[in-house]
Amino acid sequence: MTEKLCLGAIAGAFGVRGEVRLKSFCAHPEDVAAYGALSTEDNSRSFEITLGRQIKSGFAARLSGVLTKEQADALKGARLYVDRANLPEPEDDEYYHADLIGLEVFDTGGARLGAVRAVQDHGAGDLLEIHGPNLKTTVLLPFTLACVPTVDLAAGRIVADPPEGLFPDDTPEQERQGDG
Amino acid sequence: MSRSVWKGPFVDAYVLKKAEKARESGRNEVIKIWSRRSTILPQFVGLTFGVYNGQKHITVNVTEDMIGQKFGEYSPTRTYYGHAADKKSKRK
Repeated sequence: MTEKLCLGAIAGAFGVRGEVRLKSFCAHPEDVAAYGALSTEDNSRSFEITLGRQIKSGFAARLSGVLTKEQADALKGARLYVDRANLPEPEDDEYYHADLIGLEVFDTGGARLGAVRAVQDHGAGDLLEIHGPNLKTTVLLPFTLACVPTVDLAAGRIVADPPEGLFPDDTPEQERQGDG
Repeated sequence: MSRSVWKGPFVDAYVLKKAEKARESGRNEVIKIWSRRSTILPQFVGLTFGVYNGQKHITVNVTEDMIGQKFGEYSPTRTYYGHAADKKSKRK
């Protein structure tokens, strides 16, 4: 399980009074300030964030300890992290993407299929992108109760029951027909 | 200009054929298609398609609210990962 999550990044100074341009990576952008103090990657600095108005590339924000434009400029490019423990517990059958990424995927027979590389949503439901040693390209497994009956975060494993033809080994012989 | 109603929705014939075959067999399988231009019809609800995006087949579970859209809309051709941050997913 990931211990630190990147919630945002500083794009540079905003104005001349020590405010910064803050890019948010959160599902709801304003939540970037909702989980307490954010720290830099090496934990050398920590900031309390006060969000200002929304601007083109995120928010104009004030960080604790950053009072001048020069100090704000010096932080350009810095990524801001929060401890995973600071995030609220998800509801039943709800999972943080950060928790799912990296889990090992096994089929119902116990054979290893690969590991979760990313979680995607193209509008037709969430998909787990699985990468494995025997796969030429990644495979997208629907994140549904039918296809993913078991998610065991403690053991770091997912049991999958993929539809036929999803993984290359069980691909039935199908020929491309008449795609005009 | 929008499509004339009298023509009905456009669907490549082979997509209909494959969907019908999959429904008859009753097996849980991915129906691989290359036709991004085909309209999603009510009889496709509940089936799983693999819609080609030029590189690989993207899994699309067809639900009721997708009827009338095109398959290509659910199979992006460009990759963007973004950050996991605090994003959550729920199993349905």
